[in-house]
Amino acid sequence: MIISKSEIIENKQIAEGIWQMIFKSSEIADDYLGAGQFVSVLANSNWEHPIRRPMSIAEVNDDKISIIYKVFGSVTQTLTQLKSNDCIDVLGPLGNTFNVDFDKYCPILIGGGIGLSPILNLSQYLTQKKIVFTTIIGAKSANEHFLQHNPNNFIFLSTDDGSVGIHGTIIDALNIVLKNTDNPKVFACGPGPMLFSLQNMLKDQSIPAQFSVESYMACGIGLCQGCAIPNNNNGYHLVCKDGPVFDATEVSFD
Amino acid sequence: MTNLTCKIGSVEFRNPIFTASGTYGYGNDLPEFVDVSKLGAILTKSITYEKRAGNPPPRIVETPSGMLNSIGLANIGVKKFIKEVMPLYQNIDTKIIVNIAGSTNEEYIKVLKELEAVSADIVGYEINVSCPNVEHGGMELGVNAILSNILISELRKHTEKLLIVKLTPNVTDITKIAKAVEDAGADAISAINTVVGMGIDIEKRKPTIYKTFAGLSGPAIKPIALAMVHKISKIISIPIIGIGGIVNSKDVVEFLLAGATAVQIGTANFRNLNAGTIILDELNNYLNENEIFNYSELIGKLNLYE
Repeated sequence: MIISKSEIIENKQIAEGIWQMIFKSSEIADDYLGAGQFVSVLANSNWEHPIRRPMSIAEVNDDKISIIYKVFGSVTQTLTQLKSNDCIDVLGPLGNTFNVDFDKYCPILIGGGIGLSPILNLSQYLTQKKIVFTTIIGAKSANEHFLQHNPNNFIFLSTDDGSVGIHGTIIDALNIVLKNTDNPKVFACGPGPMLFSLQNMLKDQSIPAQFSVESYMACGIGLCQGCAIPNNNNGYHLVCKDGPVFDATEVSFD
Repeated sequence: MTNLTCKIGSVEFRNPIFTASGTYGYGNDLPEFVDVSKLGAILTKSITYEKRAGNPPPRIVETPSGMLNSIGLANIGVKKFIKEVMPLYQNIDTKIIVNIAGSTNEEYIKVLKELEAVSADIVGYEINVSCPNVEHGGMELGVNAILSNILISELRKHTEKLLIVKLTPNVTDITKIAKAVEDAGADAISAINTVVGMGIDIEKRKPTIYKTFAGLSGPAIKPIALAMVHKISKIISIPIIGIGGIVNSKDVVEFLLAGATAVQIGTANFRNLNAGTIILDELNNYLNENEIFNYSELIGKLNLYE
């Protein structure tokens, strides 16, 4: 883990309000453990916004690290204005990884909202390992998607408005996918309400799952204790340090 | 070479740049890239008698030039702290001050006594009478001069180590509390703890923090902190450790001029855990450039208009 002043290679919009940034940091790449880990970026050096923003790693390729972010506030807006050759202040790599015990299970990857990076990262890993898997990505509308709906290739998109893919949520898509999947194990990332619905459904059907959880956080390394999520033992996990990946039974979204 | 040696009570610190409670853990579990050897001291997160899980989320949110937090004194409890953390302090190359919190006077005393028995590797205690995020104790004590005086007098009987009292700004007149704890035998005052604040999410029509009210920190509160430090400095003679939105050496100099003897870096650590070291280097440059040979020449040297 290091604070790296990293050179930006590329920063571009890939779908409506969704951007991809690639930056160079051999130090972060050297320490990187796998899909699920994140970095924490500082969009600018003034103190109007004191806190770094956690962003999941979408890909590590040699010393090049890719993140995908959704523009929803002035900090992410500032990020979109950075150009190649600009520098960005990045802390990382942070957190744990998905536990990839794929021998026994058929992986189903689910991403929603801004929770796409770790899912894309995991999908690249599985592709490299030649493991067959299914991907489900949910969004409000077609313009927020940057993948193609392609059930023959095991890629299912869902949209709230039905403008592409399956009309409904990732739960509706998952119900379709499960009909044709033996020994499924779900790997999901997305907003709390999405994971909550997913958790209930998976529990009913006794399907194992790992969730990459999102949270506000100030430090990213367990010191501020800001990113607590309830565990099943009247206490809390810290998303940054104990996670962000948890077994679905270990965390509560109530 | 500038002299940065900072004396509080009978303890000499290598410099006046400390890290604030709640922003540096217990000081033992920092990432490798952090160098604590240049810091004057580390203040631990608050230790209570029993362990505390803390408040439900959301616990933190950014605000303009600051952040709100309501952690709720999450900590491992004094016994586990003594067993698992204290032994590591002999290997940490800076001074350690343990922050203590409690719900009752008895709890503060119990925690202090447990620590006193094994306190070889710490230099003192910072008493948190100012946490805005717990139901009992904390700020209830810190807003009342008489109760603060009774608590600190009692704690004074049990230790000869540094006894520093961390005050809340959420009072009508902070100087009354400061005087009361000085009279009780405190060695120094830390000012300020966070300012009570609130945020609202208009989409959800909910507070941004689970407990509704939370503690505001960061550059947003620096003017409040400077005013409090300056007011206190007029009334008391023990040292003041200034806290509140310090992010660079200019901020440090402002607090020194206002009357602080040392400072604590808080929120800035969340952005960069080496903030204290970076600020110290900046401060050294400032002092050299201005031919100030002992940083203490700046303490309280504010030129007022009248």
